[in-house]
Amino acid sequence: MRFTLNKRSRGVAVTATAIAAVAALVGCSAPSADNNATDGEVSGKITIWTWNAPGDGLEAAIPAFQKLYPDVEVDVQDVGNPAIWEKITTGMAAGGQGLPDVMNIGIDYMGNYVEQFPGQLVDLRDFGAESLESEFPSGAWKSGSGADGAVYGIPYEVNATGFFYRSDIFEQAGIDIDSIETWDQLIDAGVTIKEKTGVPLYNQDKAATEADSAGLWQLQTALQDSFYFDESGDITMNGEAGVHSLELIKKANDLGIVGDIQGSWDNLLAQLRGEKPTAIMPAGGWMAGVMENEAPEMAGNWGVRLPPSVEPGGITAAVNGGTYLSIPTASKNQKTAWEFVNFALGTLEGQKLVYEGGGMFPGYKPMLESEGFAAPSEYFNGQSPNAIFIAELAQDTPALNYTSDYARALKAYTDAQTRVLLSGADPQQALDEAADQVAQQTGRKLAD
Amino acid sequence: MNVLSSTARATAGPTAEAVPLDAAPRPPRRRRRSSIGHPRITPYLFLLPTIVLFLGFKLYPYLSAFWTSLTSNIGGVITFVGLDNYLRLLNDPLFYTALGNTALILVVQVPLMLALGIVLAVAFNSLLLKGRAFFRMAFFVPIVMGLVAYGILFSALFDSSAGIVNELLGYVGIGPIPWLVDPFWAKISIVIAMTWHYTGQNAIIYLAQLQSIPGELYEAAQVDGANGWQRFRNITLPGLRPALLLTVVLSTIGTLQLFDEPYVLTNGGPDNATLTVGMYLYQNGFKYFDFGYASAIGYALTVIIAVVSLIQFRLFRERAPKPISLKKPTSPKEKTR
Repeated sequence: MRFTLNKRSRGVAVTATAIAAVAALVGCSAPSADNNATDGEVSGKITIWTWNAPGDGLEAAIPAFQKLYPDVEVDVQDVGNPAIWEKITTGMAAGGQGLPDVMNIGIDYMGNYVEQFPGQLVDLRDFGAESLESEFPSGAWKSGSGADGAVYGIPYEVNATGFFYRSDIFEQAGIDIDSIETWDQLIDAGVTIKEKTGVPLYNQDKAATEADSAGLWQLQTALQDSFYFDESGDITMNGEAGVHSLELIKKANDLGIVGDIQGSWDNLLAQLRGEKPTAIMPAGGWMAGVMENEAPEMAGNWGVRLPPSVEPGGITAAVNGGTYLSIPTASKNQKTAWEFVNFALGTLEGQKLVYEGGGMFPGYKPMLESEGFAAPSEYFNGQSPNAIFIAELAQDTPALNYTSDYARALKAYTDAQTRVLLSGADPQQALDEAADQVAQQTGRKLAD
Repeated sequence: MNVLSSTARATAGPTAEAVPLDAAPRPPRRRRRSSIGHPRITPYLFLLPTIVLFLGFKLYPYLSAFWTSLTSNIGGVITFVGLDNYLRLLNDPLFYTALGNTALILVVQVPLMLALGIVLAVAFNSLLLKGRAFFRMAFFVPIVMGLVAYGILFSALFDSSAGIVNELLGYVGIGPIPWLVDPFWAKISIVIAMTWHYTGQNAIIYLAQLQSIPGELYEAAQVDGANGWQRFRNITLPGLRPALLLTVVLSTIGTLQLFDEPYVLTNGGPDNATLTVGMYLYQNGFKYFDFGYASAIGYALTVIIAVVSLIQFRLFRERAPKPISLKKPTSPKEKTR
């Protein structure tokens, strides 16, 4: 009977089987600190899991690394984002089976992996990583470390929020971008832009069926010094700041100045290239590199500045995630993996190669201070994106506590936003429902 | 029966058919195990691969998942929590959303698909149809289509801004319809995709059953003056009953476990409009790392499927004994199945 079930059932059957098998392994596999692995020679082959642009960066460091260690082969695999998170989860749940030697882990997943799968990431202090601590911004370093100081990841990207805008479109609409100080003013400008040029102020994946669609809300909420959770892990997404952000998003949407584009890499590139135009593009600092690489023909049409504040005179800097390179304890070639990570992220030579290859915004201070790093960019009309990001990172940005329940909060928020954008739900009510749902699922308290 | 079979086994060999129950005592009987050359363990050896696979890949995961459903990951430690996960499930509004969506899709999609399957099967069986082999194959092909190709295909078809379906509808002045991005239409899209995917399989099952209905029944009915609809209603449908039971039960189980279509097309969205129990299980396990809760959802689903299947078997069994009767009382042909 089971064998005659049609294909539909297989997905679940496989999932159930995997979960079962996985759970058993989690229960009994104690990760072992394999001495051979740490003392081993620097040779052989290492595999790295990452995705498109960060992968390009790491690829660029390989030839120089191989000059130091000619016997080493480095295989950079573009697993894809977000597919990589599930692959890592599956591997970790299986006690490290099938994991590569180096993994590129997002700041938003770090806490989860460390909390849910203890002992699966190498404490890089085994290799003396603590000596690098002073070379990175302390906030970024701490998010990659455990409470006891264990170092689980070396910061690869450290992203401040870049507020990118189409200078040609603003010009065409007759709006001086420098005069805009708050999001309310920006939305007013968006109405003019839509009238005069037909271009939406920004595009959103309103149904959020391809990917989460919470970036704008997270930015606006961070600009009000808030997030899904506070420092103690209580739920704050339905607080005053969160509700105000969703009200701004609803206001823009109701004014008809928000385009609806499904969230995907291709659609992002189409926006950068102006094929599906947008007037603004708030994004992580990494977007500057992607723009130059993927939309060279748009040189001169993109500008960059600090994001407008939500309240007049409010915060104009926000951290927009980041990623780490980590080594799983299951790796059989940890020493070699570490040497590569250390070369790519812990030396100026490696950092330069990686930055040129992929354009990910680095956290390595000698790199930020290096000559020419904050030089004006021709692509951005003589503006310097890097100078803006360095200035932002220097501002006292609020620490974001992702907790181990970020994924649930993200999903709950995205659903609430969809209700507001597609069905006209009330922001306060939608967020209250979302917060209650997260509380019910996780047992976390709602912050007062 | 027992006596017979043990006797038969005892004398297994070319003369087995000639063994009378009161066979005269034969000397070789005592040495049967060694003399036959097949030790008693042989059948079990043949079964061993299946048994090992069953134990390793079915029974063990089932038991392990059950144990997992009684545990929770608290601060990185797998902790026994008793029935907590199940109690949480009973109070989880999203689980009920998922159940409701699944039930709605089940109620709409399965009857639609099976009705379509019957129509197709009758058409495939018709002697008037030219190129029957081609059509049969064409309708069966979707079954073998891989999940990824299927997802890409339907995403391209149903894209609300640049999709082919909306483009075609535009020519006749309809739309654009927000196929995958509106809570209502997303459900419709799932139903359409599933129907496209599985109708052919059901049609093939019906076709096989149709060919077991004797042609004389139709001839006799025709002689008695039954029109086409009456023949379909009173001969074809009753004749299809065993296949109907099979397909209803299989499709119901498949739909209750629905995962592929929402996974590749809508990701359970928008706003959980296409969240199914299978999707919710997946999210909890692989997005939120909550394997205990995911396993509890899996077991809850198993119980639901068992109950629904039992009810279906009941319903069909009660109706099955009714004799097939043509409306005209002159026809005594009560073929027992």
